[in-house]
Amino acid sequence: MRLTVKALGWIIILLWIIALALPLSVAFSLLKLAEGKNLGIQEPSFTFFNGNVSINMPMYVNNTGLYDISEVNVKINIKEAKTVIMALSKSLPDIPAGQVVKANCTFTANLKEIFQKAPTLLTEDADLNVNAALHFRMAYTIAFNITQSFSTRWGAPFHNLTVSNVVYNAAAQITSFFVSFSNHAFFSLDNPLTVELYNSHNEMVGAASLALKVPSGEAFQEPVEVAVNPSKMTETVFIRLFFAELKIFDGRFSL
Amino acid sequence: MNELESKRNRRRVGLKVARAFLITAASAIFWLILWFLTSTFLAGFPNYLTLFTVLAGGFLFFTFTIALAEGTIYKYILMITRAFFLIVYLTHATNGGILTINLENLAFTVEFVPLLALMVFINLLDVARRLLQAIEFASQSPKD
Repeated sequence: MRLTVKALGWIIILLWIIALALPLSVAFSLLKLAEGKNLGIQEPSFTFFNGNVSINMPMYVNNTGLYDISEVNVKINIKEAKTVIMALSKSLPDIPAGQVVKANCTFTANLKEIFQKAPTLLTEDADLNVNAALHFRMAYTIAFNITQSFSTRWGAPFHNLTVSNVVYNAAAQITSFFVSFSNHAFFSLDNPLTVELYNSHNEMVGAASLALKVPSGEAFQEPVEVAVNPSKMTETVFIRLFFAELKIFDGRFSL
Repeated sequence: MNELESKRNRRRVGLKVARAFLITAASAIFWLILWFLTSTFLAGFPNYLTLFTVLAGGFLFFTFTIALAEGTIYKYILMITRAFFLIVYLTHATNGGILTINLENLAFTVEFVPLLALMVFINLLDVARRLLQAIEFASQSPKD
């Protein structure tokens, strides 16, 4: 029994040394990782294609620490008021000790899905709450989670969207009007704008498609002509504008 | 004869108490040094003062009582209690192995559940060791 007690004593001492040395060496590794230029994120680039917005952030990690870094994960949650409009997550490869790993952190989101959740973002500028979280595990034992919350300004792609000067030309069977807005978004608008005209009985009297090419930060003002069915025309018409199948404008006009 | 024996007993108890005090005082100096070393960079940690006081106070109490119970089976019982105290303390103080520090709009979370599990396991091993020691002690001194 005495030998067992002695052996247990040595095992306990050994395990305590491991239990105390591990967090200290992990802290040392973290400090080594934080010093100099061992960690870097290059300037993110934004691309807008086919209704999807992509954010690409090239990054590199030079793991000068003692342990492998695993379970590297970046999560971004964007909220408008209390609605989560975008939840992005990206897992990065493991970073073995003593190695440099370069990776591309790409997030892709569908604009249609975003605007379905928060339709006002199409026409109104807003403050968005961004919650960014970085998760990683060192020595496959101790996990770290760094979360930062900040707000960012959202620029609406159809800011101050206005339809004006609605005129019906009975002879030409055309209704014409002006569409104007400012593109406050960080991306340029390339998708077509669908224009639909309805009479007071809510029957479609005409439709047209308006090609858009509005770079970021620029204003747009164009006349629109819609061929209409004169037999269905009423004194009051409704003009509805759609972008990527989302209704962005619905106005009632007297002719 | 009886008076002489009780005088000897009182002297023995007095010596035991003095010895326990000395050991506890030495222990207190160690905790004081540890406090000075850690308080500077761990002061921002939530409830650090309370947690340190509970740990130091608990350990000083056990140091005193274990020294006082030297040569009896109570020493092992106290040692087992100390191991359980450490298990409860570690689990509570580390919030089950997940610690979060909030700095304005930045939250830093450290999750070390496997490490906490190892510490609990070490203490359970210690409990087993003390139990074996207590059994050995009881088998050697049937008077206790």
